Amino acid sequence: MLGALFVCLSLSSCSGVQSALDPAGLEASKVATLFYVMLAGGGLIWLGVVGALFYATRTGREPHSERSAGRVILWCGVIVPVTVLAALLSYAVWLMPNMRPWAPGGEGGLRRIEVTGEQFWWRVRYLRADGSLLFETANEVFVPVGERVLFVLKSPDVIHSFWIPSLGGKMDMIPGRINHVALEATKPGTYRGVCAEFCGPSHALMAFSVEAVDAAEFEDWIASRRAGRPAADPGGLELFLRHGCDACHAIAGTTADGTIGPSLTAFGARGSVGAGTLPNTVEDVARFIRYPDEIKPGSRMPSFGMLPEGDAERIAAYLKGLR
Amino acid sequence: MIVRWKHLIIGAVLLPVIGLLVGWSGLIGVGASSGHWAVTDWFLHWVMRNSVRTAAISVDAPPLDDPALLPHAAGHYETGCAICHGSPTQPRSEAVLAMLPVPPDLKMVVPTWTDEELFQIVQHGVRFTGMPAWPTEVRPDEVWAMVAFLRELPEMSAERYHEVSGLHPPPMEGEVSPLPITCESCHSERKLSASSLIPSLAGQSEAYLLESLRAYSEGERPSGIMEVAAGTLPEAALPDLARYYARQQRPQRPPLPADQALLDKGRMLAERGRPGEKVPACLSCHEKAGANPVYPKLSGQSRPYLERQLNLFKQGVRGGTSYSHLMTEAARKLTDEDIAAAAAYFAQRRVPSMP
Repeated sequence: MLGALFVCLSLSSCSGVQSALDPAGLEASKVATLFYVMLAGGGLIWLGVVGALFYATRTGREPHSERSAGRVILWCGVIVPVTVLAALLSYAVWLMPNMRPWAPGGEGGLRRIEVTGEQFWWRVRYLRADGSLLFETANEVFVPVGERVLFVLKSPDVIHSFWIPSLGGKMDMIPGRINHVALEATKPGTYRGVCAEFCGPSHALMAFSVEAVDAAEFEDWIASRRAGRPAADPGGLELFLRHGCDACHAIAGTTADGTIGPSLTAFGARGSVGAGTLPNTVEDVARFIRYPDEIKPGSRMPSFGMLPEGDAERIAAYLKGLR
Repeated sequence: MIVRWKHLIIGAVLLPVIGLLVGWSGLIGVGASSGHWAVTDWFLHWVMRNSVRTAAISVDAPPLDDPALLPHAAGHYETGCAICHGSPTQPRSEAVLAMLPVPPDLKMVVPTWTDEELFQIVQHGVRFTGMPAWPTEVRPDEVWAMVAFLRELPEMSAERYHEVSGLHPPPMEGEVSPLPITCESCHSERKLSASSLIPSLAGQSEAYLLESLRAYSEGERPSGIMEVAAGTLPEAALPDLARYYARQQRPQRPPLPADQALLDKGRMLAERGRPGEKVPACLSCHEKAGANPVYPKLSGQSRPYLERQLNLFKQGVRGGTSYSHLMTEAARKLTDEDIAAAAAYFAQRRVPSMP
């Protein structure tokens, strides 16, 4: 009874927005299949080993003849392991080309999304076919369902690792080189990507949202991110510019064009502030503006705790209104 | 008599007790009137000179021949040092001569020390003598300026001292002496030049001036010179001072010569920054229409002053207004060449005329 409860509880944690066992992409389902095959193979081997142990301690007490001992060594030490390992290896090698395209050049026709791991957030740049920039956003990735897209992975400072467990990955982001990973979402939904390589004090506080949507919705989203609709409160934008937030942040449709920090175009449409750290509410955004280093240790954003009463809240409300 | 362990132990206990008793009795004189015994005087000076000499081994003097080092050091000398050490316009008073030890006449002693030793004395002071330490330890640049001034002091005429310190000339008979050293002694636009280390205050943003004066007097912006200058002003005078300077028109001086490549690099930094290395554009906060008035105006400011401030920001010791940490972050990745370029660019940038 208790055992069944335990199994239910542990299995229930296998689904959700960030689970490799609940795949929503081609690559992730290959990984999941590989995992289950390996689990079954490992289970069989475990049964065999435990069976042999049981046999040795309980039944077969008499010494083996030299011939039968030789036979045990031949079967259990050579034939079975070689067969099992060869089968598992062949299966894994057969899966590989599907998961990691050998030549990135061969993926030339794919839609390209450049993702850069920063300390501690994700710079996301959608590129045109010729490699020029379509638009930049941060900490959010939209992909069309049923279309394979190529992620171009970079890092300017330290090693990060790009991982969307539900879709596939992971792939390291290494300063000085460009890595590629191609992923295809098969199920629409909201997923969560994380950094899978320790990169500094806020390594655990850099996540991004992944939305797999149908083609029409995807095109709508692209248009909204390129244009950036003006928000209702121009006073908030005035304060944003007055304090120099635009030195680091860009908002499409305004004069703010800084690229040091994350782009804030359509910020209000995002689910979180601080790369998945706090919910995107006016209070939490104002808190982040005032004390970024307390919320995300090691964050490069200086604190704005000295802003006059109400300024951070007004800027937060303005950002929340950007869609 | 045979000395036993017992005697040693009794001695070790008794001697401190006797010492305490002598101290308690009040028989030791601490009056300055009687002076030291000659041998005590010799010993103390011998120890002092040796200590300074040894401490100065690890100090290396920068070039000290820049005339721009003199004015702020001279002004500070008049405010803080002349009262004990005298100056070319004023000998030490009888009261000072009754101190123990007597603050030396610098004309006589400065030539006996090296630059590094003078730095050591001015930066750290001398214990048991009344010679104070420099008010901050993060501004060796100010202490070196003082060393440069001290080098010239023994040969300095009264006229030259008046000129370089900004001290008002002595009043005519029957006149009341004006305030000896004022803000104008150093910051007067007539005294400033394109190579000054002293900033021009004219036309600076009022909010920035006020916050900076407060930061100086509260020690939030470390400076031995300005902490003393601003710290002695009554709090109520600061807003008036800030307003007085903010309302003036900053003159457009011909800047120090700079080659075009450096100016172009400075303009790039000012307008675009270097986002790849997390260096934001200067103009996204400074001199932007509608910008927070606490962000200072930089155009027409002297290049050496701007360079020094950027270096202090880069070292993380500049301090200042409650917004100054933003600049610390912005200056973190600046190279020496960036600093020279940005300073050269803003020094020659057109000064906006007052409304």
